[in-house]
Amino acid sequence: MNKKWWVFLSAALMALFLAACSYGGEEEAEGEATASSEEAVSGGKVSIPIVADPTFNPWHPSAYAESNVINRVIFDGLTKPGKDLVPAPDLAESWETSEDGLTWTFQLRDDVTWHDGEPFTSEDVVFTFNDITLNEELGANSASYFGQVESVEADGDYTVMFNLSSPVAALPAYLSFNTEIIPEHIFQGEDPWDLTSFNKENPVGTGPFKLKSYTSGQSVVLERNEEYFGDAANLDEVEYKILPDANTHVAQLLSGELSIFALDDTSAVERIESADGVDVDGRDTNRFFWLIVNQQEERFQDVKVRQAMEHALDRQNIIDTVLQGYGTIADAGITPALSEYYTDDVKQYPFDPEEAKKLLAEAGWEDTNGDGFVDKDGENFEIIFDIGIQGDLEAIAQLVQQYLIDVGLDVQLNTMDWNTMIDKVVIQRDYAMTLNWWRYPPDPDLKAYMHSDFAEQGNNIPAYQNEEMDKLLDAGAETSDVEERKEIYTEAQKLMAEELPYMFLWYPQEVQVKRSDIDGVPELAFGDTLHYIQEWYMAE
Amino acid sequence: MIRFLLNRFGQSIILLFIVTVITFFLINLAPGGPTGVMRMDASPDERQAVIERLGLDQPVIVRYFEWVGNAVTGDLGTSFNSSEAVVERIAERLPYTMELTVFTIIFSVIAGIILGVISALKRGKAADHVINFSSVIGLSVPSFWLGLMLILLFSVELGWLPSSGVGPRGADFDFGGWMAHLAMPVLILSTTVLPNIVRFTRSSMLEVISQNYIRTARSKGAKEFVVLYVHALRNAMIPIISIIGVLIPRLLSGAVITEAIFGWTGIGTLIIEAANGRDYPLIMGITVVITLVVIISNLLVDIIYSQVDPRVKNMA
Amino acid sequence: MLGASIKEDMEEQHRKKEKRRFVLLTRLKQNKVAFLSLWFLVVVHAVVFIGPVLWPITPDELTDAGALAGWTLQHPFGTDDLGRDVFARMLHGGRVTLLVGLCAMLFSLIIGTIIGACAGFFGKVVEAVLMRITEAMMAIPNFFFVLVALTVLGTTPFMVVLVIALTGWVEIARVVYGETLKWKEYEFVEAANAAGASAKRILLKYVVPQILPSIIVSGTLAIAWAILTESAISYLGLGIQPPTPTWGNMLQNSQQYIWTAPILGVLPGVAITIVVLAYNFLGDGLRDALDPRFAKK
Repeated sequence: MNKKWWVFLSAALMALFLAACSYGGEEEAEGEATASSEEAVSGGKVSIPIVADPTFNPWHPSAYAESNVINRVIFDGLTKPGKDLVPAPDLAESWETSEDGLTWTFQLRDDVTWHDGEPFTSEDVVFTFNDITLNEELGANSASYFGQVESVEADGDYTVMFNLSSPVAALPAYLSFNTEIIPEHIFQGEDPWDLTSFNKENPVGTGPFKLKSYTSGQSVVLERNEEYFGDAANLDEVEYKILPDANTHVAQLLSGELSIFALDDTSAVERIESADGVDVDGRDTNRFFWLIVNQQEERFQDVKVRQAMEHALDRQNIIDTVLQGYGTIADAGITPALSEYYTDDVKQYPFDPEEAKKLLAEAGWEDTNGDGFVDKDGENFEIIFDIGIQGDLEAIAQLVQQYLIDVGLDVQLNTMDWNTMIDKVVIQRDYAMTLNWWRYPPDPDLKAYMHSDFAEQGNNIPAYQNEEMDKLLDAGAETSDVEERKEIYTEAQKLMAEELPYMFLWYPQEVQVKRSDIDGVPELAFGDTLHYIQEWYMAE
Repeated sequence: MIRFLLNRFGQSIILLFIVTVITFFLINLAPGGPTGVMRMDASPDERQAVIERLGLDQPVIVRYFEWVGNAVTGDLGTSFNSSEAVVERIAERLPYTMELTVFTIIFSVIAGIILGVISALKRGKAADHVINFSSVIGLSVPSFWLGLMLILLFSVELGWLPSSGVGPRGADFDFGGWMAHLAMPVLILSTTVLPNIVRFTRSSMLEVISQNYIRTARSKGAKEFVVLYVHALRNAMIPIISIIGVLIPRLLSGAVITEAIFGWTGIGTLIIEAANGRDYPLIMGITVVITLVVIISNLLVDIIYSQVDPRVKNMA
Repeated sequence: MLGASIKEDMEEQHRKKEKRRFVLLTRLKQNKVAFLSLWFLVVVHAVVFIGPVLWPITPDELTDAGALAGWTLQHPFGTDDLGRDVFARMLHGGRVTLLVGLCAMLFSLIIGTIIGACAGFFGKVVEAVLMRITEAMMAIPNFFFVLVALTVLGTTPFMVVLVIALTGWVEIARVVYGETLKWKEYEFVEAANAAGASAKRILLKYVVPQILPSIIVSGTLAIAWAILTESAISYLGLGIQPPTPTWGNMLQNSQQYIWTAPILGVLPGVAITIVVLAYNFLGDGLRDALDPRFAKK
């Protein structure tokens, strides 16, 4: 009797066990079968991970990274990032600026149709900008890039003109960055944010792929748009899998369920590098990491204090341990990806704790009571270091804290969730020190981040103010002549490195991981390669 | 019986009201509103536009009563972040959580009763000790850690089970794949309730076995099998139904972590998304729905309990 | 005459209590697993509270060994992803984790005992209100609220302890309530009541001491529960924040190294499991020892 129990139980368990095994076996066999049938150049499917449900409207205030990687495939902008990083034609074939720099004229393609068959015309562009971007009540994504655009007008069906209040040399670059055109014939008269039938269900774009199916929390599947104005795509389908967890991304890449993405968290990179059938490449992006101190506080206005902090950090060690080497030390804000403008002929700050202590002493901060922390007028140099929880920031901040403590700064880490950080640091400006990064369109115009116009409100979060810097940034933003801009921005970089409005840390490289059987992917950052997804194909 | 149920229902309404008040004021008075969710480089004007569009410039009290007014008519508002109806977003996700919890209950009850009965019958012997010991271990392991270890073993090393997701649905649905995707989440979620069911079954079995009518049945020469199943287990089952009601809230709590580990797109992952995104209407909606789920399932348990337990029936 | 009988009654109770305490220990000794757990916990607490003082490396300093170094004499558990000594972090992390558990348990115990004892002792409206609140708390899947509260209010150590405690007192309140109901019927309590002692005095002097053993059992199990909850909220990034180490946040941090350095996750995972296990065994053992049916076994 008692034995029967055990027999029954173990039999049941065995059955479950076997069911699980046999299922796994089948799945693998299936995977191999599909892989071998994908030998042709045309056909096949790629899978890309995203972390949350997307919004199919590039201007929607809640369209974040997970939406961007889809929208730039479904929709097209006037320009797109070129393979040489200079803006390349997309919906616009050519563009030019007027003598005074106050008008940009774009010639549009005349052979473009929307996914629903309607023709694409200048009215769509005019609508997108005048009714969405420039409508201040809507608070559209990326609207801040177009603050100097007064209006957009059509001249016939295939010409549009952007009228500016002051010259914006970077306009074609801004137009290549999450600013895709949406169809007037669908949005006319609708609330663009509440039009769920478009934004969440059935987007209509002009891009090389169109929506096939979308299941919330699971996947978005796009299929080839045979009517695409350029060469039709090679791939049959593009699948975006909604997978919030980064470990799952790695697991599915290794098992071949995911094809290509940018690895946010580099800690698994060693494991991926050692795997067969996966390529790992570092790609330059327009990003720089920074450490800032609130220069509304008097103690941080002394440039020697900022220079001391820069000397105190062993940035190469942080790059090696946290970024697994994927990054280069930054001296100023313009990234090496902008190779035309970038220079490293500026003041450098090698890791040198002694120099840091010397600079602090020159600024009046010395350890007079022997407690290990520098002080002035009887008070220790205490700094609360606010940090938002996202990606590697917490790990980096812990290292930075240790380096600063080593030169006598009493730094306390204060971690908080991302939204609380934005509210406290960016909106209230109620902070002493923080660490983060900027990503910007492929143009060296850094006015928004360092110009005194934005010191009170806006993205000059460190509240840095310097007339000379303002002049250089203004001149660079208004000049369209490339040679002239080169000179201006070389000067600007020298000043940035000397003055440290931000304590520049490094230019991170994106770690792009890709199954080796996908070919035709240009050597660009992952986000930019998506503009060329029609060229991708499955190799043998 | 009816009076008892009405009474419970009245209490539930008050409970629901208190829960919504606390949650609403908690989220609305905390720092870092929905505008913080925007990209870091959004301009102050963009942020202001969002505040006005979402109606966040109104006082909290006004917004609460507006919300209640809509909620009683079944309108839980529009999600801040996706502009979809909250009811729709929850309706999309809730079935997955239900699926996970129902399978977990089924698995835990079956496994729990089997193990509990064995443990009771083998009282003091090796099998009993092993089962007891494992129950305590099950209660003591951090479930997410165990989940990660299982993923390491079954997905990474052996490649038997998928590490994440709910599996293909709709046209591509296949039963094997469904079960394979369910296996690890159900196992992990059951660690939160299985040990309780085992222990409970064991003690109620022990109590029933020692009672007179079992001895009578035995002495009458009924087969051991019949004694066990017809008499002992059936009577031991009754209190087990009641414990399921108690375990449902715990199960839903556990589902949050389990869903996070296995990318199970239920209401647990939705609340994480909503909290991180400061999606106030969605947070409120989930709060209401999850409280309702508990209230309804407890009512159901009460009704079933009253039907099977003669003592409760007589009381009514 | 009446006074004398109360006194006798009390002395009798006192003797019984002494005897019960003694019996508790002897009975616990008979339960090998529970007794072993008790000793194990004493050792673990001694190690994590005294260890950090003796171990020369601080948990935050960047060692010369570099990141993810292997096990050596100098760094018995190697170094972590940032090059910090894992052994030092395990010691400090253990201290913080156990402190969080103890503090949350104490908070829960205070809330639970007050609510349970008041409900049981005063009865009527007080009982109805307090027990309805307790039942409501039981009926709510509290993790949803823990998650929302910690996300929007921030994750200071105080908030973490408070939120864990606020969700952990319910079980204790129920146990204390049941025990109070039982003890308040006893003659010596009724007599004290009749003699005009204040409610507070009766509760503190006569009732609470009687139910202390049950409170100890609940407290032991509550620590186990609090440690597990801390690790669960750490998994969602809502626990005590780095650089302060806890076993929970070390475990969470190790997740991203699951591919390259799985050992980083094994250490805190095992530590949490065995400590929680020991508390659970001890709690179970104490409960069995208190069980009047124990004698029958």
